[in-house]
Amino acid sequence: MVLAIGTLEHFMKRLAATAALAAVATATAACGTSETAASAGPGGVYTTIDGSKQIDATAPINPFNPQGSTFAGYDAMALAWPKNDLMDPNLFYPGLARSWTATPDQGEVVVHLQPNARWSDGRPVTSADIRTSIGLAYTQGGSAYTVNAGAAGAAADIKVVDAKTVKIVQGKNRSNAFLRNVLSTVVVPDHVFGPLLPAGFWATLTAARGTGPAAEKAKTEITGLSQKVITFSPPEDVSAGPFVLERVNPGAALLRKNAYFYDAARIVPGKVKVLNYTGNEQIWNYLVSGKLDSAPFTAVPAAVMKKIKQTPGNAIRKGYSPVAASMAFNQARKPYDNVHVRRALAYLIDRAQVTKIASPEAGTPSVTTTGIHGSSAQAWLGAGLGALDQYKVDPAKADQELRAAGMVKKGGQWAMPDGSPWKVQIHVPASFSDWVAAAKSVTSQLNDHGIDSSVVTSADYILYLDELAGGKFDIGFWLMALGPSPYNIFQRVYGPANGWSLLAGRLNHAAPGKDGNWMGGPETVGGVNPGELTNRLNLATPEEQKRIVGTLAKLTNEQLPVIQIYDYVNTQFVNTTRYTGWPAAGSEALRLPAGVWMQLGMIKKSGV
Amino acid sequence: MKPSTVRGRPRVNAVTRRLAGHLVRGLVMIWVVTTISFVIIRNIPGNPVLGQYETLIERGMSPDQAERATAALYGFLPTGSLWEQYTGYMKALLHLDLGQSLSTPGTEVVTLIGSAAKWTILPVLGGTLLSFVLGVTLGVYAGVKRSGKLGDLLSISGSLLHGVPQYVIGLLVLAIFTTLWPIFPAGGPVDVEFVPGFNAGYLASLIQHATLPVLTYALASYGGWVLAMKSSVATVLGDDFILAAELRGLSRGVLFRYIARNAILPLFTILALSLGMLFGGAIFIERIFNYPGLGLLLVNSIGARDYALMGGTFLVTTMAIIVVNIAADLLYAVIDPRVRTGGVA
Repeated sequence: MVLAIGTLEHFMKRLAATAALAAVATATAACGTSETAASAGPGGVYTTIDGSKQIDATAPINPFNPQGSTFAGYDAMALAWPKNDLMDPNLFYPGLARSWTATPDQGEVVVHLQPNARWSDGRPVTSADIRTSIGLAYTQGGSAYTVNAGAAGAAADIKVVDAKTVKIVQGKNRSNAFLRNVLSTVVVPDHVFGPLLPAGFWATLTAARGTGPAAEKAKTEITGLSQKVITFSPPEDVSAGPFVLERVNPGAALLRKNAYFYDAARIVPGKVKVLNYTGNEQIWNYLVSGKLDSAPFTAVPAAVMKKIKQTPGNAIRKGYSPVAASMAFNQARKPYDNVHVRRALAYLIDRAQVTKIASPEAGTPSVTTTGIHGSSAQAWLGAGLGALDQYKVDPAKADQELRAAGMVKKGGQWAMPDGSPWKVQIHVPASFSDWVAAAKSVTSQLNDHGIDSSVVTSADYILYLDELAGGKFDIGFWLMALGPSPYNIFQRVYGPANGWSLLAGRLNHAAPGKDGNWMGGPETVGGVNPGELTNRLNLATPEEQKRIVGTLAKLTNEQLPVIQIYDYVNTQFVNTTRYTGWPAAGSEALRLPAGVWMQLGMIKKSGV
Repeated sequence: MKPSTVRGRPRVNAVTRRLAGHLVRGLVMIWVVTTISFVIIRNIPGNPVLGQYETLIERGMSPDQAERATAALYGFLPTGSLWEQYTGYMKALLHLDLGQSLSTPGTEVVTLIGSAAKWTILPVLGGTLLSFVLGVTLGVYAGVKRSGKLGDLLSISGSLLHGVPQYVIGLLVLAIFTTLWPIFPAGGPVDVEFVPGFNAGYLASLIQHATLPVLTYALASYGGWVLAMKSSVATVLGDDFILAAELRGLSRGVLFRYIARNAILPLFTILALSLGMLFGGAIFIERIFNYPGLGLLLVNSIGARDYALMGGTFLVTTMAIIVVNIAADLLYAVIDPRVRTGGVA
């Protein structure tokens, strides 16, 4: 078999040649990278991740498309950028709006644009761009720009005061969310996107605010433009931000500095590379290899965190993250309709232990259940927080509560009042590793106390949400405390998931098991309607808000529609090898994209 | 020439009839699979818009922002009864319209599939061919020298690699070449800093990014080829014509060609199927290396409950397998005279 061996050798040579080709490719690519990096100028290439979406190279360069190839803070600009305040959702950093004023009831908001703002093609950013952007936002619906005239916080009129000043007037049903919704407006160039609005659009909008068949027809015409706006694909990026899209492929997007940006002198990097990711493990790889100059909040297991910390230059910035993980009950199911059972479970769960296992780096055990993130609760409730039941681990109290609920203990195991077995099933989506770990820790603790408990996972998050909304679970993990807006905080507990929803400006309550009401709580508790109070939060004055938040926090603490397990800690990553000037730990800017940090003049070259 | 023309005509007719039969069966199979996958896809539980809203919340968006980002998606959901949706889908299919994506709202499914297909072909085709050539060659050696040490070694290596799941090999390759010995990029198809085109930097980056996916695919499928070829060689070695060739004193080179040619025939069917599966992508490999091929597209479309995209990806995979099967069947008639002549060789 001489020839067989000869042929084998031949193929081995081919294999070696292939390997050599790969090696040459590696070397060439490495050299090429440095050449291309040099073209970015002395500012270099800033590498990061956009946590809000995965890159899709086929998506249009259009911020109205949820998957669009535009990146907030870099080439997609809002009028202003929200500060991560514990209580006030109306605090913003300037964006394309240099300043703004609002009447006390937010009935009128006047926006003054950056005087030097220009698009990347050199044209000035004017009030016409704002008006067109608002017109396009109406076609998408929601927040301040809804065609439902009766909806709270809907804009009623947009007036161009001059080339750099716009006045937006709120309708009669006033909401304190109006200012922040206006300031969050994403601005697109009128000379690119303007033709999407048909002639007579503004007259149609006025008609849509009326009543009767003509108004309905006008509404349909406006919302009918939605798909046209989303699918619009400009041939190239025209940006008013610090960067403009150069090219995008399925692995990354490359943006170059916009020489026309109104504050270009503050922008240090010559280019920005936004890497794509399909799962957290890819972000971990990028972090371990030191590729990322900054990365948004990413859940990281302890072992990986250790490796990330070992990479030269890597540092961690922690701050307030307005979200908490909780166990939510379906109160339409027995025995969870009984508050004593819910309280008993709260007295048995060691939240510190659960947090240590599930989210040691990015979580802090909830002080108690209020519906509000711990940091924010301190600010809202002050000394009142200490007066609430802390639900510290107390098996004796748990036993008392279970007996008060009529539960019986047989052979060391707790059973239903009629003696039938009580099996606690806690549901979590399989893809949320911290929730799975948390649920396992909780069931372990409950089993130790004679409550037969187990964890059930759903294959993915969408399936989980579907089953949850369908009322199929007794207990499921749930994200809550979405501040800083108090309405957003309590809407997670006393919103659609618990039966309350706004329809054409009117609050309705659906019966348990209907229209997405899977929490199944009572409509009123001791004469208090928590859904109504929650809805009131968007309309109330700051003083009234504080009173309502106090009432809702106390009610939540007593009734426990959810058991708050741990409050998330925003854990972000930066690398000081190439750049410095990162927002400090706890900064109100920390959760914003790095492009906004650059706009604020924070990012500098290392060693300069 | 006349006799051959006379003999050729029925042969051409037979091939045409065979091809026509395949085409009809293929079309029926495509229709059946499309219908079944349509019904399954439309019945997968999950509300895509609610899912997208909650995913945005989970990624740190405020409820207001998430609502703004998802409100318009309702316009992309299919409407009407299941039957109406089905007839609409089939009518559109006749015009090669696979619909619009929900996860990339408004983008044509055909565009998304076309974009992903080009990224699948390079690593999967490269990996398949590399493992085929390597596996078949070493398989012949393992078959001929099956009692030798190297033959045993090849068989054991083949069995071991055949038994290790693709994703385990992928993770190992990733850990070795991107973390322990970081000489290859961890993800993506090509460095975005290079201008796309026929230039050294771009092509080098393309090869560099494809190396680990190709290597993983080749390693994962190499074992199967070695074992299949070894087994096939062992069967051929027992055939009378090999004994006759040896008795006639044919050279080792001629003998090797006799063995290899006859032993490789059954592997062509497997190769054809592998090439068909190419369009299904290598799901785990693409996921691990963040390689934006059809496998990753399919996974993402299922995760987002993007009905049109799921249906389109299934359809393309189905069609590819059926077409490649037909091609393999026809090719078999060319490479194996026994098939062509109905066993009268």
